[in-house]
Amino acid sequence: MKYFVGIDIGSTAIKISIVDKNKNIAGYKISASGSMFYKYAQETLDALIDEMGIGQNDIAYIVATGYGRKLYKEASENISEITANAIGARAAAKDFGEIKTIINIGGQDSKAISLDNNGNVVNFAMNDRCAAGTGKFLDVVALKLELEVDSLGEYHFKSKGTPLSVSSTCAVFAESEIIGLLGNDHSIEDIICGVHYSIARRIVKLVKRVGIKEGVYFDGGPALNAGLVNAIENELGQRIFVPKHPQITTSFGAAIMGVDSYNYSNSQ
Amino acid sequence: MNINTDHVIESPKEKQNRHKAMEAVKLLNTLKEDFKAQIESMGYFYDLFERVYCKQESLHNDKTKIGTMCIQIPSEIIYALDGVPIRLCNGFYTDDEIGSDLMPQKACPLVKATVGHFASGNFSDKPDIIFSPTTCDQKTKVGSIIENFGYKIIDVDFPRTKESEASREYWRRSVKQFAVELSEFQGKKLTRPNLRNAVKKIGYAQSLYHKLSEFRKNNIIPIRGLDMFLVTNAFFFDRIDSWIEAVEILIAELEVRTKENVNVASQLSPRVVYTGSPPIFPNFKIPQIIEGSDAVIVADETCSSNRMFNDMTAVDEWNIYDIMDSMSDKYLKACTCPIFTKNDDRIRRIIQLVKAYNADGVVYQAFAGCTVYEMEQKSVLEAMEKEGIPILYLESDYSPSQGGQLSTRVEAFIESLKTKRRKNK
Repeated sequence: MKYFVGIDIGSTAIKISIVDKNKNIAGYKISASGSMFYKYAQETLDALIDEMGIGQNDIAYIVATGYGRKLYKEASENISEITANAIGARAAAKDFGEIKTIINIGGQDSKAISLDNNGNVVNFAMNDRCAAGTGKFLDVVALKLELEVDSLGEYHFKSKGTPLSVSSTCAVFAESEIIGLLGNDHSIEDIICGVHYSIARRIVKLVKRVGIKEGVYFDGGPALNAGLVNAIENELGQRIFVPKHPQITTSFGAAIMGVDSYNYSNSQ
Repeated sequence: MNINTDHVIESPKEKQNRHKAMEAVKLLNTLKEDFKAQIESMGYFYDLFERVYCKQESLHNDKTKIGTMCIQIPSEIIYALDGVPIRLCNGFYTDDEIGSDLMPQKACPLVKATVGHFASGNFSDKPDIIFSPTTCDQKTKVGSIIENFGYKIIDVDFPRTKESEASREYWRRSVKQFAVELSEFQGKKLTRPNLRNAVKKIGYAQSLYHKLSEFRKNNIIPIRGLDMFLVTNAFFFDRIDSWIEAVEILIAELEVRTKENVNVASQLSPRVVYTGSPPIFPNFKIPQIIEGSDAVIVADETCSSNRMFNDMTAVDEWNIYDIMDSMSDKYLKACTCPIFTKNDDRIRRIIQLVKAYNADGVVYQAFAGCTVYEMEQKSVLEAMEKEGIPILYLESDYSPSQGGQLSTRVEAFIESLKTKRRKNK
């Protein structure tokens, strides 16, 4: 049995997906990027292979993607995370329907990708201002509020008052705004809800730049946050589709592309 | 793989209301929390804005709401004909964003926000008819855009020279025409007692503003400029009797504070006169930066505050036409809006305010796109220089993210005023 690997080396996490020759997901693993991308990527891959009970020889093709992709020299090929994300999203959302717009929020960037009817990338936009409105931003917020980042979604839905807006686009300034709000005894729920809306408004602006089309897919780690999903849906005024494992879409797309590349080179 | 369906997505109107509530709450929290020496009776105003902008509470269910696009529409006539004036100038960034799709990119944010408000249509008190004086270009042209959203708009011809006798006559005719049209719309006749009473009531409200302003001439200032702007902004839409009552209570509290030497600033805090494009709730961006930098706004020359209250109509005329004429003059002759061809009155007014309120300097703010204020900047700056009055000119808009650069400039200006104060001690 041959397997195909997609490695997505992001700023915050390394995501690896392995698919079989039919492009079905066979295994995946997520670990922190740390500072030694190459080393951790290799360790994560080895661990995943062990878990799956397969051997190194079963790996037919490796595609690296993500911000640290060029640091992973063993890859057979590397592609940009935009292409990989588009392929992965369409495959992951088969049951949902046609995907036309992708919102991806990563550890240190956020992007909106617009696809045509055949799934080709026609336009994309990325945040141009540092870590504002990214996963890192949520980490900072959670840290200041002394909460786990996973629990932010829960607090969002408990907000009873008007969400308290955080207007700074800079994560550092936003942090001091949050400290100010806390100092004045505002409810943590309203603050969190406000933070989600400020990220949502920023991301919706990004989406507007590429044009909002029906069939919106949302992935990246922050998509696990139901509160943020709710805020983006309200700002967009439409339902969005969040996959079960929003973190691995891009590595999944890279692995799928690996199958095609492998088949192509073997047919020549 | 799942789709999260356990919550309902907001309607566009709900979304817009949430955006506005978030903006309103942000400013109100700043006013309530970020400054020392809070005034208890300001609670009425904080609460009023929260009711109207966060809870969309209607204040005038029982009355016909007469929308006005500028201060030149005489409220006296509206009250005399049993209507309620609602001033539609808008300060919300979220409405500005909507309006940007309907207006030229470089248009004034106030006008864009006003158009955006009509486009989204979420009024806590929706105007039944709108009167639009032909003041600045953008306000003049905007009527036809607003009409497309299904509102009834009537233009009121307003002249742009104020020295000539011809324009005075012209404006008097316009005001009469306005009275006739509103009278027909309301099915009521404008009578002398009604008009007199309305003029008296507005005059009384104006006198309260003057009383409030008197406190700010003192060395120890019991009320911040930000709170003053909130009080005057409330006059745009509040029930006039409630407003009068609340301001009377406020004045009583300020008297007590004055006796107790309660100061909203320190002895070193520079005293600033604010002029230019009007701060309209919740866009108090520049006043917030000024007072956040340890200065205090002691007076202003703007149409959302001073210009609304400064000049009063005499009510000792016998004849209804004479009352009408004297009222019309107030809206033309006394007006210091930069739309006029020559506007030395405005310079004189600013200098007079600086002297009367013992101010250390002037902050002149124009909205990017508010051409008339942008144009008049030069002459005002020159005049101030001649008088030896320090002045800072700023351009700003409604976006919430512009703070950093603006605050550095304002802080540096305030600090230079402070240094002068320190030396003169």
